[in-house]
Amino acid sequence: MVHSLCRFKEEEFKWLLQEEVHGVLRQLQDILKEASHRFALPVGSTEGPVKQENFMLGTSSADQVKGVLMLQGDALCQAFSNGVVIYDLRLPPVEIRFKVKNWLNQYCSKCPHSAVSVDGSVGDGMYGFEGDINLKIPRNNQLLHFTFREDKQWKLQQIQDARNHVNQAIYLLTNRDVNYQFKTGSEVLKLMDAVMLQLTRARNRLTTPASLTLPEIASSGLTKMFTPALPSDILVNFYINLNKLCLTVYQLHALQPNSTKNFRPTGGSILHNPGAMFECGSQRYEVSHVHKVECVVPWLNDALVFFTVSLQLCQQLKDKISVFSSYD
Amino acid sequence: MGVEVTARTAELPAAGGDSGVIELRPGLHWLGKDRSKLRNFGYVNNVAEVDVLRSTHRSVFTAINPRALLFGHTASITCLSKASASSEKQYIVSASESGCLPASDTFRSDVGKAVENLIPPLLFSVLDRADKQLLICPPVTRFFYGRRECFHKLLIQGDSSGRLCIWSVPDTLELQDNTEGLQMTTSTSLQEAFCKLTPCPAGIIDQLSLIPNSNEPLKVTASVYIPAHGRLVCGREDGSIVIVPATQTAIVQLLQGEHMLRRGWPPHRNLRAHRNKVTCLLYPHQVSSRYDQRYLISGGVDFSVIIWDIFSGEMKHIFCVHGGEITQLLVPPENCSGRVQHCICSVASDHSVGLLSLREKKCIMLASRHLFPIQVIKWRPSDDYLVVGCSDGSVYVWQMDTGALDRCVMGITAVEILNACDEAVPAAVDSLSHPAVNLKQAMTRRSLAALKNMAHQKLQTLATNLLASEASDKGNLPKYSHNSLMVQAIKTNLTDPDIHVLFFDVEALIIQLLTEEASRPNTALISPENLQKASGSSDKGGSFLAGKRAAVLFQQVKETIKENIKEHLLDDEDEDEESMRQRREDSDPEYRSSKSKPLTLLEYNLTMDTAKLFMSCLHAWGLNEVLDDVCLDRLGMLKPHCSVSFGLLSRGGHMSLMLPGYNQSIGKPSYGSVEVERKMSITEGLGRGTYGVSRAVTTQHLLSIISLANTLMSMTNATFIGDHMKKGPIRPPRPGTPDLSKMKSSPPASSNAAQGQIKQGWSQLAAMHCVMLPDLLGLEKFRPPLLEMLARRWQDRCLEVREAAQALLLAELRRIEQAGRKETIDAWAPYLPQYIDSIISREYSPFILKLIWLKYMIKASV
Repeated sequence: MVHSLCRFKEEEFKWLLQEEVHGVLRQLQDILKEASHRFALPVGSTEGPVKQENFMLGTSSADQVKGVLMLQGDALCQAFSNGVVIYDLRLPPVEIRFKVKNWLNQYCSKCPHSAVSVDGSVGDGMYGFEGDINLKIPRNNQLLHFTFREDKQWKLQQIQDARNHVNQAIYLLTNRDVNYQFKTGSEVLKLMDAVMLQLTRARNRLTTPASLTLPEIASSGLTKMFTPALPSDILVNFYINLNKLCLTVYQLHALQPNSTKNFRPTGGSILHNPGAMFECGSQRYEVSHVHKVECVVPWLNDALVFFTVSLQLCQQLKDKISVFSSYD
Repeated sequence: MGVEVTARTAELPAAGGDSGVIELRPGLHWLGKDRSKLRNFGYVNNVAEVDVLRSTHRSVFTAINPRALLFGHTASITCLSKASASSEKQYIVSASESGCLPASDTFRSDVGKAVENLIPPLLFSVLDRADKQLLICPPVTRFFYGRRECFHKLLIQGDSSGRLCIWSVPDTLELQDNTEGLQMTTSTSLQEAFCKLTPCPAGIIDQLSLIPNSNEPLKVTASVYIPAHGRLVCGREDGSIVIVPATQTAIVQLLQGEHMLRRGWPPHRNLRAHRNKVTCLLYPHQVSSRYDQRYLISGGVDFSVIIWDIFSGEMKHIFCVHGGEITQLLVPPENCSGRVQHCICSVASDHSVGLLSLREKKCIMLASRHLFPIQVIKWRPSDDYLVVGCSDGSVYVWQMDTGALDRCVMGITAVEILNACDEAVPAAVDSLSHPAVNLKQAMTRRSLAALKNMAHQKLQTLATNLLASEASDKGNLPKYSHNSLMVQAIKTNLTDPDIHVLFFDVEALIIQLLTEEASRPNTALISPENLQKASGSSDKGGSFLAGKRAAVLFQQVKETIKENIKEHLLDDEDEDEESMRQRREDSDPEYRSSKSKPLTLLEYNLTMDTAKLFMSCLHAWGLNEVLDDVCLDRLGMLKPHCSVSFGLLSRGGHMSLMLPGYNQSIGKPSYGSVEVERKMSITEGLGRGTYGVSRAVTTQHLLSIISLANTLMSMTNATFIGDHMKKGPIRPPRPGTPDLSKMKSSPPASSNAAQGQIKQGWSQLAAMHCVMLPDLLGLEKFRPPLLEMLARRWQDRCLEVREAAQALLLAELRRIEQAGRKETIDAWAPYLPQYIDSIISREYSPFILKLIWLKYMIKASV
């Protein structure tokens, strides 16, 4: 009785290794290829023109910052599509409109004893950038308008990484083709662990944005991406959080060197709060205002769902295998 | 991370080539279209380095001149190293995933010379694995320059089967004609080392787990040690649970003696209800005293969790709520709601978590929606939340009271929730460890009492920290423990049986021995009060211990403030526990009845048994035959079966264990027949071997054996033979049993002459280990004790250890003679205050050295 039970178990394990595992692997490949296509969506088809997606960040009227971002694939992607491909998420042109609403006034009323005078001349000195934006009359609503430089592109590292991890997972799966014979359960577990590691990393890359310190944001290449150049008292950061593309704009206030204010530099964070201080090139700054706008990117949502589904598939296969490994 | 590199290099323009090699910029090279994979190389020591993470390539591109592509591998390359010392000839060793290692050499005369003058690289030889067994992951290969001689090149490979292979790469660059390649110099594995052992390494309850018609005993799959009773509980793969006295079973496994002839020894109890492997065991009372002392919880592969009564041996309840094997049993923190406090938390492989109430005998919550294996369980008692972290990074927050899923989050929020639990729990459960948090809370609540409490706690924290730093030197738990013996189970692999490590606390053992000695005369006058008070010999003794420690304290004229704080705090704590227990006993009749009920296994003297086991393992057998006979016949020690494997705990809490093979030097040609070797290892193993392992081991062992021998010498009737070993001296007789007379009759049996002989035996034993050991063993087999470790024990809080350390230090200073003492002083001179230099420069007497050590020690403690 016990003997026959053992034999059935052995048979079933054999079936699991020979049939079921390959079935799951095929399914996983299909899902991940689909996910990978989502990332490649802006590349477009070979015959048509490159597709572009426009995303409006900050659509409500209450938002003080608005951004129009364009996700664009480009020709370089196609050229490399046979190998490991870098994915480009480019954002040209970007328009960031800051609605400056009486903020200088607010700021000045907050710290009346600070060394900054409330004169228009100071505003001029602080925001002395050229172009159509004039801050001489701070009481009225003003629009600061920036676009991305034509000669540069900005790539979102998070999306690149996620894409690379997915491709790595697909590579691991294709490495074991249908004719490959799995002999032991631990072999399958090992493969699943490797695939799950890549998938978890891909997903984590999208779900956990890097927490940067303010000097890191200030020195990142993104600040040099704009035309007209960003004034020194404005910092911009883009990141992906789950399925959302987020844009944060920090308005800074330069601290006087002899300021009595207790200077304490803040550490890394995804979103810094007003009052955060940092030092950049011997000049100390304090964040006076923070604006955050975001916009849902539908295909990122799809990709996240695909990641989760394939992770579950992997886990289920692992669970099935481990049922047997505990008996033999 | 490696993947990110790929993305960056891809920015560079690329052109295809037939060979698949494209050089782009210094440091970055791609293999082109025909291989269709992007590779990244960087320069390290002028040799191309392969990025291991994404190594799907089977060739090496040399960055040195001439640039060339080296083929020969059949799998991805995992290790690459420059292997020539001279700059004249370059020589690369590369290793690939399959374990095949082509060692290729390239020749070059000069970097600056024209390319056509150079000889192209050649494949020098291929090293192949001897056995082609399937590995679950690629082996790790490293290239080393050996220490033994100059330019001694070693290629070392370790793989997932536990095998270590060493190749010695020849320095000569002549091309070998033979196609066999380089021969493996050495290959060894842990499995081989274990298999070679005779007798086979013993499992802790092997004698009780024999299966008919099989060489292998039943595997122990889970175990828990109950220090209060000295019992080890082992769950086995057939579903049975064995409760056995830990010292007795360890003695059977490690030492030779009459017990070898008895069947079914030591006395044990079998609990049977699980239908398959027992996976986890928990004795909740050990974690928190709020649980009933009788309850033992076990979980098995058969999905069930069972409550046992360890005193009666009956099954109290069986929970069948999980849909998978039970993987873990946990105890909720102290400040949970009353209902949850009497639960235990069970985790199963179907990714479910249950809260099983021991009092209500039912499952009050089952959290079973998790999609991925459970990685961590955290508690937010203040919010009544159970927080479950899964392996995919998702976090589930459950309400314990209602069993409802509060939320399920992922990503950054999940990390934040888990971190928040970490902050909250220690502040709530263990107020000592996070005084800052508590102070903040007290401030916000503006409660004077809380603030006052905080101040007290801060002082306590200070004291515990001071103590911890001191105690961790000894590799002990930071707090004084009442347990002289701890048994810890370790699993190296899920399918392997548990191995058990025995931890001896010499200080606790000495105190327990002295406590029993001090209480001995009192056994004649047994009054009801004494009975009540003395029940449960080992976990109760708090007042005795405090008294003893105080006595030790007052003997010393000078004491540091550190010790004062310690004494005070520990006394306080003991009192609290005492009064609490008293109150509880008065109020709770059930508790009282459970408490006075002993385990109905054979009674035995736990302290003396522990001492017997410990001394027998430590004694250097086979060096002095007369002394060995005295030890066996008069003192009742037993010879070990084979060499006992010792370990050492470090300050950071790391443990190193000696594994088989440590005493066989690798690569040495085996001399003589197997028979001779085996004999040698047995005689060597009996105590002698451990004194040649390391200086730290020697120090600890000598300190332990000398301090224990001195303690035993000061006791009456301190031999391990006789009736008194059967029964704890202060354990009360159960009413209505005839045991009383038997126990009482034992002490007067020993006459004065016998007493004297026993004392003489212990003194001989101490003297041998203190003074004669270096001469008896010879300096090759003896690693002298560390002076600085002894100096730190010069003022140990335990008087016996202190005396042993002082004796050992003086003996060692005498042994190393003038030259050695001068060397020591020279080594430590920079750390000493200036004014002492003028004194010691004249004469290196042991006394002065002692002074210096004291000085150093005081400095270190301040």
